[in-house]
Amino acid sequence: MHGKIMKLLLCLAILLVPITFSKIVKAGDDIKEYTPNCTYEEYEKIYLNFYGNSTQEMAEEGNPAELMLDDGEDLYHKVEGTKGKSCASCHGENGEKLRGVAAHYPKYDPTIKGINTIALQINRCRKDKMGAKPLKYESYDQLALTLYVKSLSNGVPINVSIDGPARKFYEEGKRLYYTRMGQWNFNCAICHVKYACKRVRTNLLSPNRHHGDHWPSYRLKWGKAGSIQRRIRGCMKNMRAKPFKYQSEEIRALELYLTYQSNGLPLEVPGMRM
Amino acid sequence: MQKDTKALKTLTVMVMAVAFLLTLSVSQVFSASDKLKEGRKICTTRKLGNCVSCHYLPDVESPGNVGPNLVEVMKHFTEADRDIVRQWVYDARKFNPDTIMPPFGPNKILTPEQIEAVVDYLYSLKKTTK
Ligand code: HEC
Ligand code: HEC
Repeated sequence: MHGKIMKLLLCLAILLVPITFSKIVKAGDDIKEYTPNCTYEEYEKIYLNFYGNSTQEMAEEGNPAELMLDDGEDLYHKVEGTKGKSCASCHGENGEKLRGVAAHYPKYDPTIKGINTIALQINRCRKDKMGAKPLKYESYDQLALTLYVKSLSNGVPINVSIDGPARKFYEEGKRLYYTRMGQWNFNCAICHVKYACKRVRTNLLSPNRHHGDHWPSYRLKWGKAGSIQRRIRGCMKNMRAKPFKYQSEEIRALELYLTYQSNGLPLEVPGMRM
Repeated sequence: MQKDTKALKTLTVMVMAVAFLLTLSVSQVFSASDKLKEGRKICTTRKLGNCVSCHYLPDVESPGNVGPNLVEVMKHFTEADRDIVRQWVYDARKFNPDTIMPPFGPNKILTPEQIEAVVDYLYSLKKTTK
């Protein structure tokens, strides 16, 4: 008799342990946030001192990704797939109905019960609404369309919501931002919050305030434009960690967390970076 | 005649012994400086310790400034602190659980021999004036 009760209690305990444990590890509120080492204004001054204004001058000469944006506009109006539609069929000529929309992305979507990104939504529209093949993430056409759709919100202050069901994913993004990864055992926040404005050899550590407001960006190191997810994966490789897959739940949570840090700043794509 | 040979033999042995001792000490000096070179190389090579990504070390172009200047740091350590210095390199979490310094030992970024070479190099910095 006693044995049975004990067994039952043991089973209960075993069931409860992972629940409470995952709560402790997962809840973002338990994370001890770092105090930012510098403001963005201080960063800009240090940047100018350290690198000079070469990137600024280059940006003034023109961003090579503008060409990609133009191609994105063409693609937006191009009929593709089995249903004989283009993006414009639903969203209006010249993206009329998409103005300001991207400023709210990434955002929670009840259909996928997760975080939706512009790149993901483009592929969902192609598949479900156009009967067209999804575009490979980070391919020219996928980036071009993302760039065009986001450019329709250029100048609009970023306004990402983390209310309601989005909260959980935001907390997950924050948890990942503070999780030690890879052989070097870094986390994102230690470089971009705690030691922001310090130098790692010839790389200045950027505070994360502006990390979400300019992607896709042209990057000199890549010699082409890329998404914020490519940039995050790059940092993960530097940490000697296995990068999260494009549009995986983890990387979308990180994108949400980062874009929320840029709330209030006007969206400005394509950006340009070293 | 016999006496001469004996004297010659003794001389040869003596010369050989001296030569042997000489090579021994020379090679020791050599290997010590080799080890210092090796330690420095580990500290300045991206794929190895890459200490200079965060720390100042002498004669390195644009070292990082995330961590303290290692020449200054070593002024505060004596020979008696060797275990502490080694522990910093092996796994700094022992002193600061939330350190940014990679755990070079436990994460197998560096071997114990490489860490020893790094510690030797760090101690050689005590003679640096820069
Ligand atoms: C060891 C330091 C380090 C770690 C750890 C690190 N980063 Fe970075 N990150 C950098 C450096 C250096 C840059 C380049 C800054 C520049 O372009 O001037 C950068 C750039 C970025 C950018 C682009 C910034 C911009 O506006 O152009 C993003 C986004 C970013 N990191 C996100 C992350 C995320 C997410 C993680 C964790 C998965 C992470 N980083 C981990 C050092 C780090
Ligand atoms: C990513 C940054 C980073 C790297 C790489 C790094 N360090 Fe450090 N190191 C630090 C920081 C920051 C401190 C200050 C203590 C702390 O915050 O943990 C420190 C502290 C130290 C100390 C103790 C300083 C004291 O005041 O007692 C020693 C010794 C040291 N580092 C040596 C090394 C050596 C040798 C290497 C390479 C094999 C190395 N570090 C690589 C960032 C780094």
